[in-house]
Amino acid sequence: MELDDLKNDWESATTQHRLTTKVIDQMIQKKYASKIKKIKYPELIGGIICLLGLGFVVFNFNKLDTVFLQAIGVLTMLLLIIQPAISFLSLKQFNTTDDLSKPYAEIIKQFAIQKLRFQKYQQVNAFLCYLLLVTIIILLPKLFYGKDISYNKSFWIFAFSFGYIFLLFFSKWVKKFYNNSLNQAEELLKEVEQ
Amino acid sequence: MEKKEIFVKAIKENEKLIYKVASFYTDCKDDRDDLIQEIIYSLWKSFETFKHNSSLSTWMYRVAMNVSIFHLKKNKKKVATIPIELENLNFAEIAVDDFEEKLKILQNHIKDLNLFDKGILMLYLESKSHEEIAEIVGITKTNVGTKLSRIKEKLRQQVSK
Repeated sequence: MELDDLKNDWESATTQHRLTTKVIDQMIQKKYASKIKKIKYPELIGGIICLLGLGFVVFNFNKLDTVFLQAIGVLTMLLLIIQPAISFLSLKQFNTTDDLSKPYAEIIKQFAIQKLRFQKYQQVNAFLCYLLLVTIIILLPKLFYGKDISYNKSFWIFAFSFGYIFLLFFSKWVKKFYNNSLNQAEELLKEVEQ
Repeated sequence: MEKKEIFVKAIKENEKLIYKVASFYTDCKDDRDDLIQEIIYSLWKSFETFKHNSSLSTWMYRVAMNVSIFHLKKNKKKVATIPIELENLNFAEIAVDDFEEKLKILQNHIKDLNLFDKGILMLYLESKSHEEIAEIVGITKTNVGTKLSRIKEKLRQQVSK
């Protein structure tokens, strides 16, 4: 289909509207403003899980009786704080727009830059996720059964191997997902800057 | 006239513009209605900053299109919204079937275009001159011509695929 055909179709397409004063008035009320706030469910759930995990490690920290396990415990706690923080911060900056009456190209540029930054934050978070998985595997037997990771070697060899295979596929998927998304944002930025 | 009255009058006079922008950037009734509400709310929020440096419709196009970019991003993340209860607000039901049908055909053609090209194409379809497109988008008039030729080429390639 040619561009002019599309234009003819678009022009001939008729619409009927019924924006009454009452409806417009309702839309611009402050009450509406507070209702329209979007809830970031995945981030919220992730944040709550991390906080619960953090509480669990803090509460059971006394069970970690070697310097190595204590160091892993501290690292786990840090990861459980840093990860949701990164997630919330990256979302916050992604949702910021200063002036919506700016030219479209400027906002697109801002959008693409924010998107690139957001994806990079998410990549860092994905890496921290792997690290968290390893530290949790080391801590769990001690925290749940009071036993060192070396106690049931065969189980943990299996757990590590399974975890490694999972991570291998997961990291490949993450890389592919973020690369596609990053490429799109980079292309968009290039297009605007041309 | 009070500020709100002027605003309501402006919205009523330009509701077709808002409806068409929202239709262009969304692909289902719920998203479209949601976007229309966001556009009107954003227009109201920035109404005070409207300095008459550009025409009212140029300003409205800018705000509506810019809001749509961020609305798209939210929808891609499949974030749930809290519905608001507005009486008699059911745009899809009062839209003429013919429009819905043509909109589907159009969306099928433009789905592979990037956001920047989409914006330029929408303004072209709205019969805006190269000069007006340049003002809304913030690029030169020559650039508008070049971009439109490229979009034309992209659409042609899509059809031949």
